Amino acid sequence: MRIAPEIRSALALPNRIPSKNPVSRVVIFLILLAFAVLFAVPLYVMIVTSLKSMDEIRMGHIFALPVNPTFEAWDIAWNKASSGFAAHGLKSGFWNSVAILVPSLLMSVAVSSICGYALAFWKVRFGNVLLSLLLVCAFIPFPIIMYPLIKITAALKIYNTSFGVSVIHTILALPILTMIFRNYFASIPLDLIKAARIDGGRFLGTFWHIILPLSPNILIVVAIMQITGIWNDFLVGLTFGNVQAYPMTVNLNNITQTQTGVRVYNVYMAAAMLTAIPPLVIYFLSGRLFIRGITAGALKG
Amino acid sequence: MSHTRVRIHKAERQSFLSKHAATLAVLPVFGIALFFYFGSAIWSIVMSFTASKFFPDYAFVGLRQYSRLADDSLWSLSLQNLGVFALGSLGSLVLGFVLAVLLDESKVRGEGFFRTVYLYPMAVSLIITGLVWQWLFNPGLGLQQFFRDLGLTDFDFNWVGDKHKVMYAVILASIWQSAGFYMVLCSAGLKGIDAEVWQASRIDGIPKYRMYLEVIIPMMSFTFLTSFVLLSIGAVKAYDIIVAMTNGGPGGGSTLPAYYIVDAYINRRNIALGAAGSTVLLLIVAAFLIAMPLINLALNRRKS
Repeated sequence: MRIAPEIRSALALPNRIPSKNPVSRVVIFLILLAFAVLFAVPLYVMIVTSLKSMDEIRMGHIFALPVNPTFEAWDIAWNKASSGFAAHGLKSGFWNSVAILVPSLLMSVAVSSICGYALAFWKVRFGNVLLSLLLVCAFIPFPIIMYPLIKITAALKIYNTSFGVSVIHTILALPILTMIFRNYFASIPLDLIKAARIDGGRFLGTFWHIILPLSPNILIVVAIMQITGIWNDFLVGLTFGNVQAYPMTVNLNNITQTQTGVRVYNVYMAAAMLTAIPPLVIYFLSGRLFIRGITAGALKG
Repeated sequence: MSHTRVRIHKAERQSFLSKHAATLAVLPVFGIALFFYFGSAIWSIVMSFTASKFFPDYAFVGLRQYSRLADDSLWSLSLQNLGVFALGSLGSLVLGFVLAVLLDESKVRGEGFFRTVYLYPMAVSLIITGLVWQWLFNPGLGLQQFFRDLGLTDFDFNWVGDKHKVMYAVILASIWQSAGFYMVLCSAGLKGIDAEVWQASRIDGIPKYRMYLEVIIPMMSFTFLTSFVLLSIGAVKAYDIIVAMTNGGPGGGSTLPAYYIVDAYINRRNIALGAAGSTVLLLIVAAFLIAMPLINLALNRRKS
């Protein structure tokens, strides 16, 4: 039976009728399920391996559930694993990651949101020039600016410190974040801002009392994107930090690449889980906002 | 917006600060873009024409570093690996598109569950991706042993240990990591297609697969172009996954340009060589960014 589009939308019928053939629906469901299993395999293997003893791992049943589940590998990974420099486990890396994350999150959001606001609502000379410059910046590959940035941070005496790593993360995030904020703010109706400006609301007053309260969503999206991006970064932490300032990912990599003995995969997988848990928790809690964050930030770097 | 507090300042202060506040707010970003991005990139390009080793040296030696790169078999191999990796990464887009279509077609219950499972690898660091896949590819204890235990005694899955297959292992890990992301992009593209297009196809009785190949995919050209740009940038950037999974080996079989460049800067302490390599990367990105809009234009012209 054919229904005219107007009637269809008036009846709120779905535009696309799912396959009527129940066999094909079941087949599609099974394909989707098979892919879900395939995607879940690495996480499953990480978890079961981290709960096994090395004796059990050497038996070679990678998918088998642990016979005697133990958190010993997790304890070693967090407290004792050797990174080649010291045998303090991952915990120092965890705190370094926190020390890197907090300042870079605050600095990058503060600077880029105010700049995006200025570009969206105020007459700024060369504002459009800046926007095109930022678009180009977003595509400049990191290796070509890496060495000069090392020299600059060394001159500023922040090279090899966690604050130096934060500064580099801020610099790397600014072009894309400024564009995201500018585009979001530009969609806010101008009338609201005009009223405030005629009433004499100043630059920062308008930003603080009108723009920010209208923008909780974009702030959360940007925060999620920055937290996961900075937490998962490796190269910046490696090249701008040192033993005292390495983030968790670098710490994890050092633990897995020390060649001083047998490869303890249960400890490696526990260490990997410990490093993965913070962003995974954010992912499972934030859902759609996470998706918006990664699609908005896809150009980053 | 009654809950928004609006502070009214009766007398507008005409100090320098309030007059130029917007300009001042833009200055830091302007400065960073010019100084840290453009300045740094230009400095590196200049360095690529010198013979700087551990310290910058401003005596020009022409294209010597570029001919060194051209003569270095590891650099040529890294460019070749980049090509293989970029092509293989298209698998992320293909799989992402298939998953998006299946989810769109089926309207199964638990769609949210499936999306969550396909996308979670994106939340995890590439260091972890590399590490866990290195473990899965472990020849004696990983997937190879699992399939041999099942009776496939000749099953060869030791890709990570084989110079000629190691890139396939990296590609597989990379597809696992990013297919969910391209599914999200393709789902958005599919949602943007007018319902009337589908209704027309039903009326005309066109089979589904032809509908996708001949109508839907061409209509999603913008989604695919965006994906191509992101995939190629991802391939140029790829560094972490190589470090964690293979360290560029075996025999340079998984060395990518970014890995080569960071190694030149940090381990070989050769500024000029690293600068020359990164200039080549910049040129690759630039060529791609110039080519993409032209391709888009050509496609649009052919359509009309």
